[in-house]
Amino acid sequence: MTTASSAKRIDDNYNKNDRTNREGLRGWLNPLAYGWERVSYWFQRLTGIFLLVYFIGHVYETSSLVSGPDAWAAMLELTQTIGGHLFLILVIGASTLHTVNGIRLIFTQSGQGLGKPGRPDYPYDPTSINNKQRSGLWIAFILAAVAMLYGANVLFSGE
Amino acid sequence: MGQMYFLVENEETMTSDSIKNNRNNNKNLTKWFSEIPFLRESQIMKIHYITGVGALFVVAIHIMMRLIMPFNMSLEFENVILNYKNIFYALLLESILILIAIHGFNGLRVILLEIRQTQIWERAVNILVIVAMIGIIAYGTRTIIIANGFSLG
Repeated sequence: MTTASSAKRIDDNYNKNDRTNREGLRGWLNPLAYGWERVSYWFQRLTGIFLLVYFIGHVYETSSLVSGPDAWAAMLELTQTIGGHLFLILVIGASTLHTVNGIRLIFTQSGQGLGKPGRPDYPYDPTSINNKQRSGLWIAFILAAVAMLYGANVLFSGE
Repeated sequence: MGQMYFLVENEETMTSDSIKNNRNNNKNLTKWFSEIPFLRESQIMKIHYITGVGALFVVAIHIMMRLIMPFNMSLEFENVILNYKNIFYALLLESILILIAIHGFNGLRVILLEIRQTQIWERAVNILVIVAMIGIIAYGTRTIIIANGFSLG
């Protein structure tokens, strides 16, 4: 067997194996058996996608400015409803959670707050998943809730 | 995998020069196969973090501008246009637009590349997010320029 054909065989096996050991979206969305860190991963991505959709909508919404006051008022009416306010409150919560958790992730990826590496002993709890990381996540949730309450107060009182 | 065949087929006749040439060829091929040839993934992630932190500050100013007067009043057409007439605020809006477009679409790219990894998929995702990023920046910039032009009328 030539080296080229053996390389091709390895390549074929690689591609075949590459496609079989994946859960795809199911694995991505499964929060079970992975703890709060998986929930954090999940929330970071879902809030990110939600905020990107909002950002595109917001750019489109504000473009009505160039069509004059009537077009602006008509577009604004869509957000001046209870549903519109609730949507904006969700945006406030998502952006706060994404921001605070994102800051935690920047520190984590730069090696801060991960603990010292040690010998893997039973029950094999990783030092990187520690109280610093978890408290960062809880702070993100608490700040998101506070921001949503403040936003609700501003939007529903009109002040 | 093209570069793999290239290296394997030539492994028996390699000299130090040919190894160097192969390395260079391999780099070039890698550049072709990586969809953004001028940036490493680690550099893209640095840009992702910098744009994220930058967006945090400019969006905070953007929101505060809505809260310096009663919220409903701040959204009246005349008040919003007045904001756009201010060149510093217009520049702030442009920076928000660019920072969030880069951060958001790169985030989408990361998510999509986590779901599936094939050469065609990666290339399609990269092209899609770059086109979308440029499109949204162009569209938002158009609004800022035209709304700012109201001051000239």
